[in-house]
Amino acid sequence: MTVEHPALALRGLAKRFDGTIAVAGVDLDVPAGSFYGLLGPNGAGKTTTLSMAVGLLRPDAGSAWVLGHDVWQDPVTAKRLLGVMPDGVRLFDRLTGAELLAYNGLLRGMDPAVVDQRAAELLDVLALGDAGRTLVVDYSAGMKKKIGLACALLHGPRVLVLDEPFEAVDPVSAALIRDILTRYAAGGGTVVFSSHVMEVVERLCSHVAILASGTIKRVGTIDEVRGDRSLEQVFVEVVGGRTATGEELSWLSR
Amino acid sequence: MALPVSADATPAAPARPVSARHFVRLKLRVMANNFRGQGWRIAMFIGGALLGLWFAASGFFLFAAPGLTDNGRYAVLVAAAGGGLLVLGWLLLPLVFFGVDETLDPARFALLPLPRRTLVTGLFVAALISVPVVAVLVAASGLVLTAWSLGGWSAGVVAVVGVLAGLLLCVAASRAVTSAFATMLRSRRVRDLAAVLLAVVAALLGPLQIFGLAALREADWDRLAGVATVIGWTPLGAPWTAGIDVAQGRVWAAPVKLLITVVALVALLAWWSRSLESAMVGAASAGKAPARRGVDGGAVAQLFPRVAGWARRDRFGALVAREARYWWRDARRRANLITIAVVGIFVPVMINVTGGDFAAVGDEGFTAAASDSSPVVVTISMVFVGVLAAVTLANQFGFDGSAYAANVVAGVPGRVELRARITAFSLYVLPMLTVVAVVLSLLLGEPGWIGLTAGALVATYGVGLAVNCLVSVLGAYSLPETSNPFAMNSGAGLTKGLLTLLAMLASAVAAVPMVVAAALLGDAWLWLALPVGAGYGLGAALLGAYLAGDVLDRRMPELLATVTPRR
Repeated sequence: MTVEHPALALRGLAKRFDGTIAVAGVDLDVPAGSFYGLLGPNGAGKTTTLSMAVGLLRPDAGSAWVLGHDVWQDPVTAKRLLGVMPDGVRLFDRLTGAELLAYNGLLRGMDPAVVDQRAAELLDVLALGDAGRTLVVDYSAGMKKKIGLACALLHGPRVLVLDEPFEAVDPVSAALIRDILTRYAAGGGTVVFSSHVMEVVERLCSHVAILASGTIKRVGTIDEVRGDRSLEQVFVEVVGGRTATGEELSWLSR
Repeated sequence: MALPVSADATPAAPARPVSARHFVRLKLRVMANNFRGQGWRIAMFIGGALLGLWFAASGFFLFAAPGLTDNGRYAVLVAAAGGGLLVLGWLLLPLVFFGVDETLDPARFALLPLPRRTLVTGLFVAALISVPVVAVLVAASGLVLTAWSLGGWSAGVVAVVGVLAGLLLCVAASRAVTSAFATMLRSRRVRDLAAVLLAVVAALLGPLQIFGLAALREADWDRLAGVATVIGWTPLGAPWTAGIDVAQGRVWAAPVKLLITVVALVALLAWWSRSLESAMVGAASAGKAPARRGVDGGAVAQLFPRVAGWARRDRFGALVAREARYWWRDARRRANLITIAVVGIFVPVMINVTGGDFAAVGDEGFTAAASDSSPVVVTISMVFVGVLAAVTLANQFGFDGSAYAANVVAGVPGRVELRARITAFSLYVLPMLTVVAVVLSLLLGEPGWIGLTAGALVATYGVGLAVNCLVSVLGAYSLPETSNPFAMNSGAGLTKGLLTLLAMLASAVAAVPMVVAAALLGDAWLWLALPVGAGYGLGAALLGAYLAGDVLDRRMPELLATVTPRR
């Protein structure tokens, strides 16, 4: 490759729903090999942005590239390079964990023998082997996140896009997911994930972007963004939160 | 910080008790919010309302006919038969075709401190706010006109009370039955029992058929009037005939019939209230499937069920395998399969065997039945079954909901997707259709007609698949993520009904050549029907998947957005 493409490049992505603007023109460059955190409060447009970036939601304007391949013009190539774990989206949850992995693997055009081997390894590492023939619909929230991650990892994508991978996950599973992601990034992969858990982002990420009201407010390496303060202080200042004065809600104490 | 908590831990009774009024307002508000900014939904709603009004007007004139013509002879017959049909329709149609409007999902009320009586009354009253209820009210008011013109104002007043009670009975029956079946189908233990019960319910279509056909043949009217009198004493006909009874001088009958209605109504509401509880607790009561250990074979081997064992271990095979698993494991889809199986067997049997049988009995006592049926009638009944089977796929992507995202992310080509879905569904349906064709031919005593029945079935099923592939890509809508397999989204109700009707109509039209051939070609068609029908059906299905696949390729994200339930 003569030109080094960014792992994920977004240009002017915009989306409006029923008159409300969800995302108002997002530009972002995720360097290859980086561990990128997309921060934002609830309703900031994180999920909408990531959905448009991976081809799940057609943007009103703008485009997205994965390693130089346009997601909306050349979806086949782009999707081959991507591993995606959407949030708030059901899995095909009437399958067992193993069946779900096999389904996703074959859907990606993988060799059945490779699917078998990788599925067994993933189930083992993610401690999902014990679930046996339990359907994914009966999994706990943490187990669902883990099987979703396994589905995204199965075909060995170059870029991993995860929406809220740490939400509703207990500390043990969270540590496991962190380990796997760190190993994946160390092996040359790129991870983009959205979150509003500051500790995780500070610990893992090389780069962050703060998204609020549908636009990027701060972007850069983690040191550039946080400066000499904590990430949480920067985040609250950018987003503009309010603190309770103690006057209201007095009826809560009796 | 341990503040002293006042010893009086029971919360004070709420100052303003919750009444049915709140449920009605909530329902109206939810309906209005669903329309907001969705022009096509409003258009659909108006279209559906007009359609309902049209049916209501024709029903009104049917019910009012004895009064308008001042002919009291058939008043009881019209009231009992028409009213009975209404109740049966309310009972069966939600199960078979339309589902039940769950604008107010009972599960949403689980956390509110509401007495069950309040909840049931509220949901019941809210269920009355719908187009079909208004349509039935308009139609049934024809009975009031009849009673009034035959027996003066007193009969009219009784008829008003009767019609209103009958309307309540209709709504209560549909709610109670769908809720009970939903509970049964949800529970993994008794779902087979539920299938049998559904079969029994569908068997109730029998009397309905007999009535329709016998009336068409103008069989013995007095005999029918006798049957109508009997029906008038069951909850099916009691509310509708009370006014006529007063008009015809049987004043004592009216209170008894109204009492029968009220008892039936209370019983239905009690039944509903019981199954409502399990609906509110929801999936928690379904119990977890035992986690069977000792998994054999690799992940890929586990994915492929035995029915799809022949499939290649590639993208197409994986799609077929997953769909095949889903048709069995997803309660909503399984309910559809059961419906096809039950209706597929019963309706043709009714039309071809029972209908002829009854006419024969009615005309000349006991004569040999079945000779009555003709290749054309058989073909038409087969067209009905084929259309019904295929229309199940009209919202195939809606079954998946947001899980369809996995296929979008993987970039599955539309044609592969649709061909695989058709294949997986056919794994279940084609054996069923074969059984229908063979059983019906044998019941008719015409084994030579197997080719005819099978050909018509396969041809209709094939063209139906083609139509429904397109409908499923262009007209998909989201289904609520509840555990009630009969539930559907508010506002989507009429849309769904119209789309289903449209798809069925288009499929039926496309199958007309089979009927024409059966009428014109005579005996040669008995041999030609199967190969021609199979070729026609297969070709149509493949063409449909080809065309619809192209559309799907272009609008995968849009399809995902339409099937994702709004939260």
